[in-house]
Parts: sequence; structure tokens; C-alpha cells
Amino acid sequence: MLDGLSFELLMAIVASMAPVLCFGLIMVFTRRSISASVTVGIIGSFLSWFASLYLFLHYFHAEEAVVFKGAWVVSASLKIPFGYYFDPHSLLMLMIVATISLVIQIYSIGYMAGDPGKSRYYAFLCLFSWSMINLVIAPGLLQLYIFWELVGVSSYLLIGFYFEKWSASEAGKKAFVMTRAGDIGFFIGIIILMLTTGHLSIAVFGNAAEVGNTGLSQALLTLSAILIFSGAVGKSAQFPLLTWLPDAMEGPTPVSALLHSATMVAAGVYLVSRIFPFYAASSTAMMVVLIIGTITMLLSSTMAMTARDIKQVWAFSTISQLGFMFMGLGAGAYFAGVFHLTTHAFFKALLFLCAGVFIHHFETNDFFEMSKAGARKMLIPMITVTIGVAALSGIPPFSGFFSKEAIMAGLAHKGNIWLIAGLLGAAMTAYYSFRVIFVMWFPKGEVEEHGHGHEGGHDDGHGGGRWAWVTEWSMLSVLLILGAITLVLGFFQKELEHFLTGHSAEHHGSQLILVLALGCALAGVILAWFEFGAKNAKQEGFLSRMKSVEALFSNRWYMDHAYRKLLDYVVYGGITNTFTRNDRVIIDGGIDGLCRFTVSLGRAVSRIQSGLLQYNLYLTFLVVALMGLYFLLV
Amino acid sequence: MNELQVYLFVALILFCLGLTGVLQRRSLIAMLISVELMLNAASLNFMAFNRFLTPEPAVGQIVTLFIIGTAAAEAAIGLSIILAVFRRYQSIDIERARELKG
Repeated sequence: MLDGLSFELLMAIVASMAPVLCFGLIMVFTRRSISASVTVGIIGSFLSWFASLYLFLHYFHAEEAVVFKGAWVVSASLKIPFGYYFDPHSLLMLMIVATISLVIQIYSIGYMAGDPGKSRYYAFLCLFSWSMINLVIAPGLLQLYIFWELVGVSSYLLIGFYFEKWSASEAGKKAFVMTRAGDIGFFIGIIILMLTTGHLSIAVFGNAAEVGNTGLSQALLTLSAILIFSGAVGKSAQFPLLTWLPDAMEGPTPVSALLHSATMVAAGVYLVSRIFPFYAASSTAMMVVLIIGTITMLLSSTMAMTARDIKQVWAFSTISQLGFMFMGLGAGAYFAGVFHLTTHAFFKALLFLCAGVFIHHFETNDFFEMSKAGARKMLIPMITVTIGVAALSGIPPFSGFFSKEAIMAGLAHKGNIWLIAGLLGAAMTAYYSFRVIFVMWFPKGEVEEHGHGHEGGHDDGHGGGRWAWVTEWSMLSVLLILGAITLVLGFFQKELEHFLTGHSAEHHGSQLILVLALGCALAGVILAWFEFGAKNAKQEGFLSRMKSVEALFSNRWYMDHAYRKLLDYVVYGGITNTFTRNDRVIIDGGIDGLCRFTVSLGRAVSRIQSGLLQYNLYLTFLVVALMGLYFLLV
Repeated sequence: MNELQVYLFVALILFCLGLTGVLQRRSLIAMLISVELMLNAASLNFMAFNRFLTPEPAVGQIVTLFIIGTAAAEAAIGLSIILAVFRRYQSIDIERARELKG
């Protein structure tokens, strides 16, 4: 099927297949033994990471995309490839996914210590990274779609990991169903492309010169681009399908980290950037992307301003940063969007993993309570979370600053109104994220010291005394690694741009935009400082003086209520009810009626059977005689 | 009326007697006897046709022999059924055995 087995191909197979092998091994063989499962999972992701690193370095200077593929379906006018497609974009993404999966598996040694379902957890993590890796290196849209759905399935499994908890299983279901709603559009878009062009190769749709030659009319192109974008809207939790993501916090925290940085939600942005030239060919589709991104970014930033749950804040910030990436892509700034995706993957994983350490230690999700319990005594997580937040709000010299600035430049290029929206979003982001940081660094009111100190390790029954340092350092070392990446990644902007686009343009943002972006971020930070950080601050946001606005924000703009109403009145009240009634009255009634008719007919006819043998004989002779007569006459 | 018709007429009368017996008599033994009468009527038919219409005489006689054999077997089975009915109902009256009804 694949032509020639070279060493590179072998590495590609290792990179893409090691995790699923581990999934199988854990599910079939080592499920009973937690330590064996953990070993298998980590070795698998390490192999996958190593192979990805090899491929990344090996193809770093490759002139054009390297493709290993076999024909999967070939029909008269239809060719669907299956295999691997390595170009700078997929290599970069492959590297991100493999790295984040690896560090999260290492982190989970500590975070999930003592959980009886740990084997299952590792198996699902492997399944998750396998689907995402194959999504990233897919050469065709159909393969991408298959793994896209697998990503959905594995995130469903992981969000609902604590399935014995009602809210967790509900959240998993919600995530699955809401993303499916977008995927329907994606699939229809693929079908349109397949019917009109006869192939789904990314090599074509990802190449500006060839998109024009596919013979798609402008209207069809726009239609299919918007339909495919609806899949990305579902996956990346954009407006109006964004309400599943905050609920997805029900899963274990490392899962949230994985979900929010490199896998699930990144898939949507990746899809759009993957076939970016295809989008660039339709200005309407680009405008839709830009508008959806802007609405999402502003909406979710406001939602984050009132949340008290640290994971919720990060979740809303993920949505808004994804919106930001879509804004960048929609404004035509391809590199800025992808660069922000890259930096965001690392600092968001960092933020979630820090939050995981706090949640693990204080057993609460509320950062006001964490602060009161003495969160600032945990130095390493506190410093790394501050780095992460600084990157998130775009404070130099952290990575987020560079990528945000690149997007701002793209937005300014598009028009001032988009730039203003972007700046507003940046200010809100800085405000809500530094709100968390200031609250945690500067607890107000009575401070109750937590029972066991941070140095003592987690001696609460799991981990065991001798192994406590493993639990502890598996988590802390990952924080340090991610913190370091967040610190330095921004300085590789030039190299990455050259790698991705083939040329490194000079700094296209003007000084003014730089100053504006920085000023907005700082304004947000300062506002947060006066409300939450300063000595006599009351730690109450300015929103608490506007009750109705606060209620609107903390109820997530009533979007959940709207969906609830929609479900209750249209789906359950309308459609389901009609079908239930159809089932009860027409189908059940019809079958019951037939049964009753048969039974009563039988009762009526059975009167003939008197039990007297001779009547039966009479009848027999009569029939035989009549038949004889009939044959005689005819 | 030639000779064949005479035989056939006798056979018809025999058959009708047997049929009436089966349908009218309430005693199982009488019904069995009537069935034997019907079988004999059939045998008579075979013999008559054999004698007057076919050049090869053996075939009809063989069939008649078969009928006699089956009749014997049938009588044996019938009598044993009648015995069983008698044991069950203490009677061989057909009206007593009327449990086969709807």
C-alpha cells in the first residue's frame, strides 16, 4: 500500500501508532495493574514524542511537503488518500500534540495517584493523543474527519471519566452532542467538496495556487467553507456552540489541560488554518470566521470576569483565545493565528496544570478559598501560574505577547473596528486573569493555614510515604518545563514564521499597535490590582456594583437557559413528543389492533368446533364431494 | 345395463351404506365396521374394472390385496383406539369423547 518502507516512514508509523497500541495493551492486558498501565502509557507517548521530534528535525529544512500515502478508496472520479502528510504546519502541530500529551501523562502520575480508574484513564489519554496525532497528519479531509470524530469520542470518555457523578456524565454527553451539531455541517461540506471536485486532498485545498483550479464555483466554495467552519465552531467552542466547554471542566484537571491546549479545541483552529488558502479564496467565508471569532472572544471574556472557579476562568479564557485565533485567521493573518495556537497550547496547558496542583492540594476549585488556605506558600506553582497568566494577558516578554501582537497587527490591517474589539478583549483578558493572580497572591480577611504544609508532600493516604516525592515532582517538573517553554517560545517567532510560511516578513506591526496592545493589557492589570491586589482592596469586581450585568455574565449570557428552553420546547416538547405519540398511537396501536382482530376472529371461528367428531366428518365429506363435483364439471 | 354397471351399482350402494354408517352411528365399533364396508366397496370397484376393462388381470387384484392388508391394519389400530377410549370414558359412545372443541 505505502511505497517502500523507509526509516522516515517507520518513524511516522511509530509516531502515529504507538499511542493506540498502548490503548489496546492497557485495555486488554494491564488493566488490573495500575503501575504497569502507567508505564505502558508513558513509554508509548515517549516513543511517539521521540518519533515526532525526529520527524520535526529531519524535515525542518524540507523544501516541500513530504507525503506517504496509499489510495484508500478509488472510484471513477473519486480518489481518497490515506496516510501521512508532513508539511511545516502539520509537523509543528504534531510536535505540540506529542509534547503536551507526554507531559500531561507524566503529570497525571501525581495528579491521579490513588484513583482506582487510573488504568482506564491512561488508556483514554492514549486514545486521545492517537486520534489527535492522526488528525494532524492526515493527508485528506476524510481521514481528518474520521479522527476528528475519534477526538470527540475520546474527549467524551475523558470528560465523563468520573461517570458515577451525574454532572460529569451529563457534561460528557453535552460536549459530545454539541460538537456533533457542528460536525454535521462539516460532513455536508466535505460531501459537497467531494461531489464537485472528486477528491479531498489537503495538498490541493491547502495550496493557494491549486484552489483556483479545482473548478469550484464561488458560491459552492463559500457554502462548503462555511459548512466546514461550522465543524470548527463546534469543536473549538465558538459562538453559538460554546456552552459545552465550561461544563467539560467535570473531567480530571489534566484532561482539561489536554483538551484546552493541544487536542480537542485546537482541532477546530487547526482545521481552518490547514486549508487556509481555501478559506482565503472566499471573502464571505473569511468574514464569517472573523465575526464568529470576535463575538466569541468578547462574550467569553465577559463570562470569565465573574467566575469564582479557577478552572472556569481558564475555560472561558480558552474560548476567548480561540476566538482570538479565529479573528487572526479571518483577518488573513495566517501565521499570527497559527503562532497564537502554538503559544496558547503551552501556556494554557501550564495554567490548567497549575490549577490542578492547587485543586489537588486544597481540594476546592474556588480560588478565593485557595487563597485563604495559603496558596501563596506553594512557590513553584504560584510562580508558574503567574508566568502563564502573564503570557495569557500578553505581557512581554512571555510568549503570548508576541502572538497576540501579531494578531493585532493582522486585525489593524483588516480594519479599525476589529482592532478595537481585539484591544477590548485583550484588556478584559488581562483583567480577569490577573484578578485570579492577585486574589491568590494577596489573600484578604482571615487566613486559615492548611493542615499539612506544602513541604510534607501528600501524605493523605495515597502515594505512600516513600513515593511521595514522585507524586510531587511528577507534577512540579512538568510545570517547570512548560513554564520554561512559555518564557522562551516567543523569541522564536522569526524562525517559526520562516518555517511555516517560507519567508520571514519584517515586523509588520507598527509601533502604535504595539503600544496600544500593551496599554490595554496594562490597563486591565492595573484595574485588577486596584480591585483585588492593593492593600485595602475589597476584592470585589466593579461588576458587583452592576447587579444585572453581573447576573448576565455569571449566567453566561443565559445561553444555557436558551439551549434548555430550545431542548424543552422544540426537541423534547415538539419532536420527541410527536414521535413518542406516533410510536404509542399509530405503531403500537396498529399492532395491538391487528392482534385483537386475530384473537376475536379466532374466537368466532372456534364456535364451529363443537368437539363432536362426526360433524367434522360431515364437513370433510361435504368438501370432498364438492371438490369432486367441481373437477367433474370443470 | 351391462354387467360392469351392475357391479358398480352394487359397489355404490355398499359405499353409501358405509358412509351413512360412519356419519350416523354413535357407536365406535359400528363406525369401524362402516369404514370396512367403504373399503370393500372400493375393492369391488377395482375388481370389476379389472375384470371388464383391462387386458392384464393381475394389477387390480394386487391393489385389492393391498386394500385388504391396509384394512386389517386399520382395524387393528382402530380397535386399539376404541379400547383406549373405552378405558378413558367407560363407554364407546362417540358423544362422550368431545373434548376436541374450540
